[in-house]
Amino acid sequence: MKHVFYLDGQEIPFVPGQNVLEATIAAGQDRQIPYFCFHPALGSLGACRQCAVKMYSHDSKHPPRITMACLLPASDDLQLVTLENDVHTEHREIIELLMTNHPLDCPVCDEGGQCHLQDMTVQTGHSVRHYGGPKRTYRNQNLGPLVYQEMNRCITCYRCVRFYQDAALGEDFGVFGSRNRVSFGRLEDGPLESPFSGNLVEVCPTGVFTDKVFRHDYVRVWDLQQGPSVCPHCAVGCNTTPGARLGTLRRIRNRQHPEINGHFLCDRGRYAFPYVTAHSRPLQPRLKGETSRQEAVLRQLASRLEEGRSGFLGSPREDLQSNLGLFALADCLHAPFAAVTSSWAEALAQQCLALPQAPSLQEVAAADRIVVIGDLDSIAPMAGFAVRQALGRGARLTVLASSRTGLARKGDYRPLRPSALRDQVAQLADDPCLQGGRVPVLLATAETLGPSGLYALRKTLEKLPANARAGAFVNRPNLFGAAYFAADGHTERLQQALRQREINHLLCLGADPLGEDWGAGAWRTLSSGLEGFALLDMVDSATARAAEALLPVAAFPERAGLFVNYEGRIQAFAPVYQREAQVLHSAVHGSGFPDAAGGMKHPLGPPSPLFWLGRLAELLHVHEAWQKRLDFYLHFLCPAAPDPDSPGVLLPDTIRARFEIATLPLPPTVGPEQWELDIFRWYGGETLADTAEDLQSLAPLRGLRVHPDVQAASATLQGPCGQLHLPVIPCEDMVQGVIAIDQEGFAELGLYPGDPVEVTWEQEP
Amino acid sequence: MRMWRNFVDLGAGLWTTLRQLGRISTVSYPEAPLNLPPRWRGRPTLTRDPDGDERCVACQLCSAVCPTRCIELQAGERADTRRYPLTFRINFSRCIYCGLCEEACPTLAIQLLDEFAFSKQHHADFIYEKDALLIDGTGKHPHYNFYRHSGVALGDKNKGEGINEKPPVNVRSNLP
Repeated sequence: MKHVFYLDGQEIPFVPGQNVLEATIAAGQDRQIPYFCFHPALGSLGACRQCAVKMYSHDSKHPPRITMACLLPASDDLQLVTLENDVHTEHREIIELLMTNHPLDCPVCDEGGQCHLQDMTVQTGHSVRHYGGPKRTYRNQNLGPLVYQEMNRCITCYRCVRFYQDAALGEDFGVFGSRNRVSFGRLEDGPLESPFSGNLVEVCPTGVFTDKVFRHDYVRVWDLQQGPSVCPHCAVGCNTTPGARLGTLRRIRNRQHPEINGHFLCDRGRYAFPYVTAHSRPLQPRLKGETSRQEAVLRQLASRLEEGRSGFLGSPREDLQSNLGLFALADCLHAPFAAVTSSWAEALAQQCLALPQAPSLQEVAAADRIVVIGDLDSIAPMAGFAVRQALGRGARLTVLASSRTGLARKGDYRPLRPSALRDQVAQLADDPCLQGGRVPVLLATAETLGPSGLYALRKTLEKLPANARAGAFVNRPNLFGAAYFAADGHTERLQQALRQREINHLLCLGADPLGEDWGAGAWRTLSSGLEGFALLDMVDSATARAAEALLPVAAFPERAGLFVNYEGRIQAFAPVYQREAQVLHSAVHGSGFPDAAGGMKHPLGPPSPLFWLGRLAELLHVHEAWQKRLDFYLHFLCPAAPDPDSPGVLLPDTIRARFEIATLPLPPTVGPEQWELDIFRWYGGETLADTAEDLQSLAPLRGLRVHPDVQAASATLQGPCGQLHLPVIPCEDMVQGVIAIDQEGFAELGLYPGDPVEVTWEQEP
Repeated sequence: MRMWRNFVDLGAGLWTTLRQLGRISTVSYPEAPLNLPPRWRGRPTLTRDPDGDERCVACQLCSAVCPTRCIELQAGERADTRRYPLTFRINFSRCIYCGLCEEACPTLAIQLLDEFAFSKQHHADFIYEKDALLIDGTGKHPHYNFYRHSGVALGDKNKGEGINEKPPVNVRSNLP
């Protein structure tokens, strides 16, 4: 049965349980009712008294009365009116009260043009302030490099606190003062600690919290070029709206996806975009370190490939088509291909793929028994956010990790060494932490758990009730897509070919085998057998600096593509803008028209990897075969390519079956007296994000995190591929006997999380 | 009778013509300057506030309202967080002197001169950059300073020191 009520004579459909304002906004009629404190994700509060409607009763005994739409449950045949004078007067007068102390800041306020308060003020017709007295002022706080506070503009709707404390479960932000002196901020100046602090900017209906990164290169929203895109910084695949102007990317906003990111975005997704404008980003083709013409580089690369002694290396950081394009080219040339840099990472990807359908973040938020394995917040913060939402709804959380992470403080924490995780996961089916719930969900950070741990997770899942779900997360956007067509032992075969001198040249796509990718230690020794290698990438890396031929590629908002997220959801992103060199001072007069005159166009930025691969295929005279293979693989993976505006399509379950029989590397054996390695990450750390200066100013120190009972200033770790000397950072939260280092450290040592390591403790730093 | 009426009309018309004899009605523009009304709309300039700082805060309302889209600017930020236009460009081969930018300007930075007819050799010379637009004066509004009225702190002006502002509240106090 269809439920409707009537607003100004118009039928508004609703779902039972909704309130009137919610249903009106959902029906797209929100021009009728102004509101402030209501937010679709944060719910009603009734604090601002703005969303007044007049309710007529069905009988003539009760006179009509004015009530708040956000607190009025929608019911059938409700008669509501907003167009009458007394309702309109109420709207106008409440706005005037809210605006009493609002400063005349709009010209210098970053919210201008996207300001809810501006919209509502214009909508209700309030234009002249009757109050002529002095205005209230506040001192601002410095809330770190990401969020800018201008407290004078506050209208006390409490959305910020409701988001930060109730939704994101943050503890370092709150409300201070009393009556009309209420203020929102931290106890003391300092950066906001939550990995979701950037959402304050979107949640605030006026300009109290604005984007500090956008502020440095500001442009009004009406001048922004915007389009649908997908976040490339982790496997969750949140939908985003990048905004660009004059060929440079200025900001990232959240784009609502009902099943993934809802109304929010993590700080990595929001503030990591400056990799696109970083000075270190390669924009010109390079040959032996020198900027060169693209034809020269392509010819050189083609002549290398013609020798028939090349290997191909894809990357989970690149999108699906580019990886498929590289795979197709390798196929045409009968050359070895691998999608990931080490056999361990390959096994990891296969075990991730073999897991049955992972829960969407909305399903995680609706779960009532949750087990988190590893530091979820630092790998995929939005997954951590979904867990927080579930906690807010009364879910029981158990965290298995080697350190007391942010999430571990919110639930039951079981300190475990990485080697013990696997056994613990295997026994989870009978564990009391999953008993008694309706919807059990297990979320793992894939790298901490390792391939054998993921296998144990799959076996545990088989013993759990049928509605139990498990998801594994990495901080690469396309691990599923890249690993999909890498069959067993591809990486090993590629490395073997290199060892036996069958190949002497490597073509890499978005990979960093000499820098910080998994297994980089092994590649560093192998690279001595290479006569040269070529790289297609969008960021500067150790590999890019060492590459013989470097072809720059377009950043993700500059091109179209497909990512496969942790659920196996194929999502498309669209090109949002074309990169142009921004010319601040126009060219010399008379020597051509500058941009303002609509004349001379500035040179466009780098093309997509598919363009380069297509040109290579042309030079190698295999273009037709290459195109045919590419189309075939793409059609096989996703017969109907999704639209950037659609919610994406899920990979069919039959495709996963192939990976269930994948071989598993033997788990490392660790003695109880041996030191174990675990991976340390923070929420802003990721290859692309590492070039974002503002975000990285929050990065924790690099070092070796151990329990404080170790009395040493520094330590040297010994691995099969090298040694690593790092300062010791004592950390109360660490489990004894575990050393946490970053991925770069793992790459240098040639080890993986959960491996035993030899340590020499030193007293001098 | 009718004929007489025709003669009168003819004579009146002739008299109107004869009256103009000896008067000079043409203006020898451009040799002789025009006597323009005080509210004449010519080309825009950017003015400075009484302290000598540029008034423009790069709010981009002028470029939004411009019907011919001839204004283009990019905002920059000074070390003291003051917004200013990094570039400010007006293409005068498109400008129609409608004055909407002056009306939209919230800081009274854009003011129109009486200059309206200027000729150049090349189209590109009509594109005026900020250094050609910014003048060293306050223009028609000698006393107005936007930052004294707005709530933001800037340089030597702290919170609560603007016009019509209370001193900053103590949020740590719960006293009534």
